Amino acid sequence: MVQREAGNKTRGERSALSNDKFMVRFLSYRVSFTLIVFVVLLVFFGIFSAGHSFFGIANLTALAKLAPDLGIVALGVGTLMIAGEFDLSVASTIPLSSFVFTKLLGWGTPHALILVITLLTGAIIGMSNGLLVVKTKLPSFIITLGTMLFWRGIVYAASRMSPIGIMAWLEPDAWLLKVFVGFIGGMVPVQFVWFLFFFAVLGVIVQLHRFGNWIYVTGDNQIAARAMGIDTDMVKTVCYVIVGVLCSFMGMIQNLRIESFAANQGVGFELRAIASAVVGGTSLMGGIGSIPGIFLGTLTIQIIDNGLILMGAPAFGINAFIGGAIIIFAVLNVTVARVTGK
Amino acid sequence: MSDKQADAKEGTSAEKVPLVQVPLVQVPLVRMVDIDKWFGKVNALQGINFTVNHGEIVGLVGDNGAGKSTLIKILSGFYPADRGEIYFEGKKVNISNPKLAKKLGIETVYQEQALAPHISIARNVFMGREPTRFMGFMDRGMMDRESMGAITKLGLRIKDPEAMVEALSGGQRQGVAIARVLYFKAKLVVLDEPTIALSVKESQQVLDFMQQLKAEGISVIFITHNIFHAFQVAERFFILARGEMLTDVRKEDTTIDHLIDLIVSGRREIKS
Repeated sequence: MVQREAGNKTRGERSALSNDKFMVRFLSYRVSFTLIVFVVLLVFFGIFSAGHSFFGIANLTALAKLAPDLGIVALGVGTLMIAGEFDLSVASTIPLSSFVFTKLLGWGTPHALILVITLLTGAIIGMSNGLLVVKTKLPSFIITLGTMLFWRGIVYAASRMSPIGIMAWLEPDAWLLKVFVGFIGGMVPVQFVWFLFFFAVLGVIVQLHRFGNWIYVTGDNQIAARAMGIDTDMVKTVCYVIVGVLCSFMGMIQNLRIESFAANQGVGFELRAIASAVVGGTSLMGGIGSIPGIFLGTLTIQIIDNGLILMGAPAFGINAFIGGAIIIFAVLNVTVARVTGK
Repeated sequence: MSDKQADAKEGTSAEKVPLVQVPLVQVPLVRMVDIDKWFGKVNALQGINFTVNHGEIVGLVGDNGAGKSTLIKILSGFYPADRGEIYFEGKKVNISNPKLAKKLGIETVYQEQALAPHISIARNVFMGREPTRFMGFMDRGMMDRESMGAITKLGLRIKDPEAMVEALSGGQRQGVAIARVLYFKAKLVVLDEPTIALSVKESQQVLDFMQQLKAEGISVIFITHNIFHAFQVAERFFILARGEMLTDVRKEDTTIDHLIDLIVSGRREIKS
């Protein structure tokens, strides 16, 4: 009897029900804790940074220029982690793409073609990572550790590790500069708009599209996904391609911002991207996480970095704080899961 | 939406044809004839005959290693048989892969493998067959509604389609997996040891689900080594031991003591 009534509830009644439980719901999402910490950190740094410089225009602009670097990569890496795999090779896809981009500029290739080939570089690396992982069935941590070292070796050998400036080949009013490192309204760095763009696109796909559901199921219970006819190898490979393309995009905008190829681009990004995802509530075992969480996670890591420097923390010791933050969040995630059963 | 309608149409037209031409009772839903299976030098199944009628609950009982899972894996397309034939609704079929089995309407529910624990009930029910509105975006309202509908039909009480499967009890999880096959119009549901890890109360719940499936006209193969569970719901019993079918008997023609005696002694009642 009771279940009959529950089944017959109208839409209005059901939404009233969920409004009552809003706080319970809110706290049961892993993202909520990241959001709370994020806001607390904003307030903390706003108050305690020297002369409240954290919220100064100069600092906010710098953050908006720099945060998309790690942010764009983390969105991809986090999506892949939901599907249950890792990609350490991002650290090498970034400089390789930047190198390809620089060479093509030097050869005077049409800019639109440069854009396509650069992004294709990441797509191909991503595809090869994906195929290696699904065909060998080996842990992706090992496979992509291998591809990371392989591609970095290629980049070092090809560039002899020397930086290559690009401004000699670019007109100051080239559209590449305007579209990827310009300012909107003379204020907002366009990189940040790209970051928001990828956040929105991936968010909509991962949370609302059927492919997003396949990503979650693949990471959560691959056997069940297979049994229901989901091609989990395809799902994972596509996620690797997404990561590769995002890395190429980021390698390119970083190149344009620092106005050169640098062989050490991307160093350390593989683990910082994973850290961003973990701080944003993504599980290292796959199947759990969200794009809004990853977005907040990467911003949280970066404002810790930025805020501590503004407060005069020794720049070389920042990693100690970020390391601590990662452990705290990893513990929080597990605790929340245990308490709420979610 | 459109997928489901198409399925529903297919279902009704396929049912109507045999109704007109031949009485349903005379054509079993599934008939497996003289099935042999070898794994290397081990003869896992020896001349097995196995039938399931429309809307019937069949108990497939036997100890571990008796060959129950092998027989079912042949039926659901995971293994090929080395000899023998399979008839589905009177037609000879070659079930060479799991997709073909699904297409025929044979669904297997495995305890561990059915659901993704950290994903909502609605998303689990529609896993891999998500209804979409445009460009592949999920119709989440429909997923919530329809999944709750199927679960309620099964007699299961769950309020929130967005709740994660992890938060459910073992019995409820079985219910969600069974609701899925109910919703997608299976003709035959294979439940592989569905009560093995459950409490007494939860086992009872799962046995009730089977009755619901039967009420919906769906046939059930209940694989178990718990003869007491099987005896509560099944109308016919097949007992397997060491790859041989010991008996094929209707409930009214046997007693629970007789079945236990067969399992223990390994005596064969039917001739090959």
